[in-house]
Amino acid sequence: MEELMKTLKQQIVEQLNLQHIKPEDIGDDQPLFVEGLGLDSIDALELIVLLQQKYGVKLANPADGPKIFHSVRTFAEYISQHRTK
Amino acid sequence: MLYINGTVCISPQNTSDNSVFLPEVKPYTGNKIYCVDVDYTKFFDPGSIRRMGRLIKFGTAAGMLTLKDAGVETPGAISTGTGYGLMDVSQKFLHNVIDSNETSVSPTSFIQSTHNTVSSNIALMSGCHAHNNTFAHRGFSFESSLLDAFLLAKEGYDNILVGAYDEVSDHSYRSMKRLGLLREEPCTNTELFTAEQKGTIAGEAAAFFLLSKEKNENTYGAFAGCKTFSAPANADELKSITTAFLSANNLSANELDVVVSGHCGDSRLDALNEALIDSLFTQQTILVYKQLCGEYMTSSAFAAWLAARIMKLQSIPETLIKVNRQRQPKNILLYNSHRGNHALLLFKHV
Repeated sequence: MEELMKTLKQQIVEQLNLQHIKPEDIGDDQPLFVEGLGLDSIDALELIVLLQQKYGVKLANPADGPKIFHSVRTFAEYISQHRTK
Repeated sequence: MLYINGTVCISPQNTSDNSVFLPEVKPYTGNKIYCVDVDYTKFFDPGSIRRMGRLIKFGTAAGMLTLKDAGVETPGAISTGTGYGLMDVSQKFLHNVIDSNETSVSPTSFIQSTHNTVSSNIALMSGCHAHNNTFAHRGFSFESSLLDAFLLAKEGYDNILVGAYDEVSDHSYRSMKRLGLLREEPCTNTELFTAEQKGTIAGEAAAFFLLSKEKNENTYGAFAGCKTFSAPANADELKSITTAFLSANNLSANELDVVVSGHCGDSRLDALNEALIDSLFTQQTILVYKQLCGEYMTSSAFAAWLAARIMKLQSIPETLIKVNRQRQPKNILLYNSHRGNHALLLFKHV
């Protein structure tokens, strides 16, 4: 899980082009949206693309998004349970 | 006639600061040159910047800086021109489509891939809900936006923001290279015209103008006329078209003071410019400019920015002068062409 979270942080920074944030600056439990990392709805779409392209997971129910993308930890937990690659 | 009440250019030179006028020329070696970045954090929040390509940043910034220069918060209309538009971002999007086998595609490059993103951004940032159009008409793109502004003014619009922008993209560079339009030997932009050679250097810039029906204390000069035409058969036809254009604007060639010529450094293409100058403009100061911005489809907008600055300051930077005939820059003619698209623009000091 630790290794997956480290990889995810790197991928989030790259996918969202977070120019002033280093992967290690993102906390494991830090909220990704609004008051945390400050991501927005377009970033949510980018994370869905990341999920599909890198881990082969297609989000079946978009309503699950806020729970899955709450933090790097919740994101990693969902991936570890559903990944196909 | 429309008055230029504000103008700003972002280019490979230090041109975004209107308190100076080409104090030095930035030298570049190679056959492509890129814009000098300004501090974009002054215009965009960090969340927006990370989603913007280079052209969106320097195009939007040039437009917003022009509004600031003119002291206008919201323009009456926006009309812009771009040759290739956001081709780079569009291609990134299409590559994503192919790479993902048409399953999942990153939304950011899709959002930013339309050619009118720059003028749309300016409209959003300035609160302009009026006419907004972007012309992608190859070498006529800037001139089309200018003609649009003249028509808009007749319909009652005022304070029209006009501009043009293009970038050196992978696509534009490869196209120029494939067509044999670029210098093959290493070249420094400052030596573009020192010897007869084939090929030019690829360039980019964004130049904007706030055009108004009334002049004010910030007026640079006026756009007095614009004509576009496709490749003339020979130098005689070009001379005839130019004479007719001047006549339609109640001028003779002798009444012009300065001619800004779109020489590109390729002797095959510059021959027509030379023929026009030799036949009509033997008493005028002749200026060239593509050593500063390179060649691209909307380089005439960069030249128009030069003309505006020259009219306001009534002085000409040494680096532009090809032939100096010591004339005060009152009436200025710009002649430029880009692969069969020829244009004449007339400027008047007011």
